[in-house]
Amino acid sequence: MSLAPLLELRDVSRRFGGLQALDGVSFALQAGEIFGLIGPNGAGKTTLFNVITGVTRPSSGQVLWKEAAIEGLPPHRIHRLGLARTFQNLRLFDSLSCLDNVQVGLGRSDRRRALELLALFGLQDRAAEAAAGLAYGDRRRLEMARALASSPQLLLLDEPAAGLNPTEKQELSSVIRRLAAELRLTVLIIEHHVPLMMQLCDRLAVLNFGRRIALGRPEQVRHDPLVIEAYLGGAGGDPPPEVSP
Amino acid sequence: MPDGSLLVQMLIGALLGLSVYLPLAAGQLSLATPGFMTVGGYVAALLSTRVAALGGAEPLYPLPWLLLELVLAAVIALALALVVGLPVLRLRGIYLAIATIALNEILRVLLLNSSWTGGAVGIFAIPQPFGDPLGYLAALLLLLLLAGAACQVLAGHPLGRAMAAVRDDELAASCSGVDSFRVKLLAFGASAVLAALTGVLAAHFFNTWNARQGSFDASITTLAFVVFGGSRLWLGPVLGGLVLTALPELLRPVGDLRLVVFGAVILLGPLLFPQGVVTPALLQRLPLPAGWRRRLLP
Repeated sequence: MSLAPLLELRDVSRRFGGLQALDGVSFALQAGEIFGLIGPNGAGKTTLFNVITGVTRPSSGQVLWKEAAIEGLPPHRIHRLGLARTFQNLRLFDSLSCLDNVQVGLGRSDRRRALELLALFGLQDRAAEAAAGLAYGDRRRLEMARALASSPQLLLLDEPAAGLNPTEKQELSSVIRRLAAELRLTVLIIEHHVPLMMQLCDRLAVLNFGRRIALGRPEQVRHDPLVIEAYLGGAGGDPPPEVSP
Repeated sequence: MPDGSLLVQMLIGALLGLSVYLPLAAGQLSLATPGFMTVGGYVAALLSTRVAALGGAEPLYPLPWLLLELVLAAVIALALALVVGLPVLRLRGIYLAIATIALNEILRVLLLNSSWTGGAVGIFAIPQPFGDPLGYLAALLLLLLLAGAACQVLAGHPLGRAMAAVRDDELAASCSGVDSFRVKLLAFGASAVLAALTGVLAAHFFNTWNARQGSFDASITTLAFVVFGGSRLWLGPVLGGLVLTALPELLRPVGDLRLVVFGAVILLGPLLFPQGVVTPALLQRLPLPAGWRRRLLP
């Protein structure tokens, strides 16, 4: 870990009114690693993605990309630096063809390159179809193709396995690993499917109520008592207090 | 010659339809098309009637001065569009619609109450650069062809794709590298310029110009061009502008019923054709040469 990190979060907080969505979150991503972000619903995972990609400003703290602060930059500027993302609830350009969805990500007209990207996800035969007409799994794949169009260095995937069947989930895992290796990508991934994350990720950070409660290799995180408590609600801790009549 | 002048008005309608279409293609509703047209018209009316050196007294108004008016109108409209667009287009949502209604009203009240604009009466006896409607027909057709060609180029251009992406999902577009503020501002600016250019030609053609051109009614009428014709392809608003401008005139034989029929068309249009009359699906079905179809579809 002597190299400067690709992306570093320093004490990032975000408050929405009375809700502390992120509370002093810090961690750093090394180039080339697959880094997982897990935590119960409402833990602040997507808010963290929004802060990194410029959709939401942090209330305090710093986001460093190659040691330069990027918090507060608009999303398109952050995208051009080499960070691309997908969305938890799929945000495609529905009226555009698959080819054009990818070309928007490319930022130029390049049919050949766009078709190559579609082919990466087996969508080359759907190039002319409108994104709205695709099956769910294909929509997920198209969103990844669009995100990869800009040749990003960091790919942020927000629940890419949501709604996929078990076979597709296994495929996704190998696709992510293959892409990371071939394209020399760093991947930051949010996913609820813990077994998938345990086998896919090099390191994991666990969020709960906006706080980072654990960080480390999958086997370390798996046995962390704080993580077990966050997921199982105090199992192994004190017995629930008895209710007196 | 009533036929010639109806055709001229239809072309004006088509151009105004395109002016509403451009920001809409980037997901922005601008109701200021009649406002910008009014501004263009006043530039023409004021220059040609008040500046004697420009040759307003000659039998035919010199074409170079008409060009000067067009350039000046475009610059002023663009500046106005920037004043409104710079603060408003940074926001996501329908704020442009609200701001452009306000812009229309401010322009209308200003122009109505200023002495240098002729007040409520407006400006009369605007000199004619063309001897008959045919000249206007040619000039407006040229402008429509240029605007149509620009829209056609846009359909296959990264900027056109970026506009469609902003329309479909602005947040996703920003996260895909699209500077949505810039894209929306360009579309709104182009809309303003096109409306102002149309206004210059319209003022000369109508021979008289006043602040009523930019009423709220006019905003809704131009919006109807796009709703009727369709907003997915640039041919839609052109067709909408041509048809809906001609319809009230063509319906004159049925007397007072014409307003009822006109209203019914505007009402039934969206019911029967929710996407407008001209849609990509329609072009697929029409017996067009394959090359045409490929070129017209985005």
